[in-house]
Amino acid sequence: MPRPATVPMANDDPPWLSLKMREAMEAWLFLGPTLAGFLIFFAGPLVAVVGYSMTEWNLLSQQSTFVGLKNYSHALTENPDFWLVVRNSAIFALGLVPANMALALALAIALSRPFRGVVVFRTVFFAPVVTSAAAWAIVWKFLLQGEAGFVNQMLAYVGIAGPNWLREPNWAMVAVIATRVIKMVGLNMILYIAALQAIPRDYEAAARLEGASSWQIFTGITWPLLGPTTLVIMVITTIGSFKVFDHIYLMTGGGPENGTLVLAFAIYEQGFKFFNVGYASALAMIMFVIVMGLTLVQLAVRRRDT
Amino acid sequence: MKTLTTLLAVSATALVLASPALAAELRMTIWTGNEAHLKMLNGYAESFKATHPDVTVKFETIPPGDYTQKLTFQLAGGNAPDLGWLMEDAAPTFATANVLEDLAPTLNSAKDYDFADFSKPAMGLWMTGAKVWGVPFSTSPFVIFFNKDMFDKAGLEDPLALAAKGQWDMAKFQDVSKKLTAANGKFGFEFKDGQGYDSRIMHALMPPIRAYGGDVWVGKTCGFDSPQSTAAVKQLHEMVFKDKSIVPPGEKGDYFSGNAAMTINQISRASLMPQAGFKWGIAPLPTGPGGESPVIGQAGIVVFAAGKQKKLAAEFVAHMTTKAGVATAAQFFPPARQSVLASDAFVNSNNLIPPAQMKVVGDAIAKGKVLPAHEKSPQILAAMKPRVDALWRADANVESALKAVCGAIQPLL
Repeated sequence: MPRPATVPMANDDPPWLSLKMREAMEAWLFLGPTLAGFLIFFAGPLVAVVGYSMTEWNLLSQQSTFVGLKNYSHALTENPDFWLVVRNSAIFALGLVPANMALALALAIALSRPFRGVVVFRTVFFAPVVTSAAAWAIVWKFLLQGEAGFVNQMLAYVGIAGPNWLREPNWAMVAVIATRVIKMVGLNMILYIAALQAIPRDYEAAARLEGASSWQIFTGITWPLLGPTTLVIMVITTIGSFKVFDHIYLMTGGGPENGTLVLAFAIYEQGFKFFNVGYASALAMIMFVIVMGLTLVQLAVRRRDT
Repeated sequence: MKTLTTLLAVSATALVLASPALAAELRMTIWTGNEAHLKMLNGYAESFKATHPDVTVKFETIPPGDYTQKLTFQLAGGNAPDLGWLMEDAAPTFATANVLEDLAPTLNSAKDYDFADFSKPAMGLWMTGAKVWGVPFSTSPFVIFFNKDMFDKAGLEDPLALAAKGQWDMAKFQDVSKKLTAANGKFGFEFKDGQGYDSRIMHALMPPIRAYGGDVWVGKTCGFDSPQSTAAVKQLHEMVFKDKSIVPPGEKGDYFSGNAAMTINQISRASLMPQAGFKWGIAPLPTGPGGESPVIGQAGIVVFAAGKQKKLAAEFVAHMTTKAGVATAAQFFPPARQSVLASDAFVNSNNLIPPAQMKVVGDAIAKGKVLPAHEKSPQILAAMKPRVDALWRADANVESALKAVCGAIQPLL
């Protein structure tokens, strides 16, 4: 029998909790798991690394001594290899980020409109992204051998004597950047395609009616509207370029002549080859600050431009 | 009531006495996955049951490339194995870090062990004063593996024959490498496992440097830039870039698949030869102005101080390295025990290598010197690597590159 409308509804909520407190409790319950994950897997390790970076801790002997900022001062003022490593990381990022973004945008423009076989082309360019990084690096290492390597044999067909790609410092850097660009460009291409397809066609149609050329449409309409996507791509590609490790480890091992020794690889060497956990942690913190700084600069530039 | 209590007490005591001792399992880390090696190791575990019936041994294979690193993680992570193999370059680092157990008390008290039978030079890396940090299970000299078919095709005497006549020296080595390259269209020589420019720098440079009478370092002094070392490396450089008879950096020329006429390696690699499909042999390293100077690679068995069953683990080490134990392993791993080395059983122990060639191995152990090791070996190798890379350019200045090597490693020595 239906309850008479005049009978007040029983209130199941505990009378001692106000509405505001109940809402807060519910919010904490929903936030709790994520917050716990953040504290355990991000904030905790970050604080621990800050602590480790102020110790001289040998992983093998398990001896640890508090040394304050000595690891930082050693890296920044005494160890000449540190600045070489920073320089290499910067060259890697400066080579990889623009090349990756330009190629991704070009591919996205070419593949954002429907034509026969477009899905096949998109799949071909995206496939390296989901390919095992180890397999990718090893295959390229094989292809980039000296005179007998596939790449140099192809170059020889057209009369070019290719260098010994992975044995000459400058060419080794070019080789790891190029192979990394080919590996990761598909991801940025997909992001750009999604952004391009979200731009209303009316804008282009209206511009054409006004007599705008394709270049004018691109520079005046498409590129500005791609701004937010470009920012995201630039940030994640820059962060990724500073964190590169597997590619370097498998293709060059940081060589030749330390020509491809980048920050993430130097951290690995200090921590896991020389067992200097304290110094490796200091390098990791420096890398964190560099990447965070670059990200903030990119965000600030974007904010200023909009 | 009193009778019942007494009966219960007697029964309980009898049950405790009759029950077997608590079973124990030792965990030993190794870097081989070879079936024959594992069979031999399991044989040691089986025969250990004669004195320790309730002890089993679990062998855990870690790939050699990551071995020292993964072992370190296990130790640092509080998951120390009881015992394990250790490579020679890691021995001083581990001993200095106090992570190894002194085996001397167990070995000296083991029945019929005869510790003095181990050759003194072979024990050098594994002892500090009277303390014994490990027992070498492999004291394996580097030898030249040669492709007899390629020598025959080039109409050349093979290195074993040349050595018998006292003509196998560094000059001859360069000469035959060049002729082999011309006659076969394949490289004359390949560095150990094709890694002489990367992870096997020492294995590439040490033999010629010692043949010329030099050394990479002596005590705390770097020897890379000595006149002897410079002459040796200049010869290698000439062979790589002028003669083009050594597989150059960045190229593949695998000896074991017939793409190089000679290589340098240890006899454990003979296991690859039945599948190689060509006639082969082993010979001593070429001599030089420094005379005969065989180079030896070593590996030892150690007990970890953080292990939970140190005494039992040390007893298992003693069991594996008795005279009988070492004789069993000699088919794969050349021994450091002089009695085994001198026995006929040793020269007949490897069914792939004829006794005359096994004698080459025995002679090299008797006359050789172990590869250099240092408590800062990982740092030294990392400091050397980029400077040694500079050597392997066609236009390299060998003298200045070697001086740069010394500049980088001298502070670490």
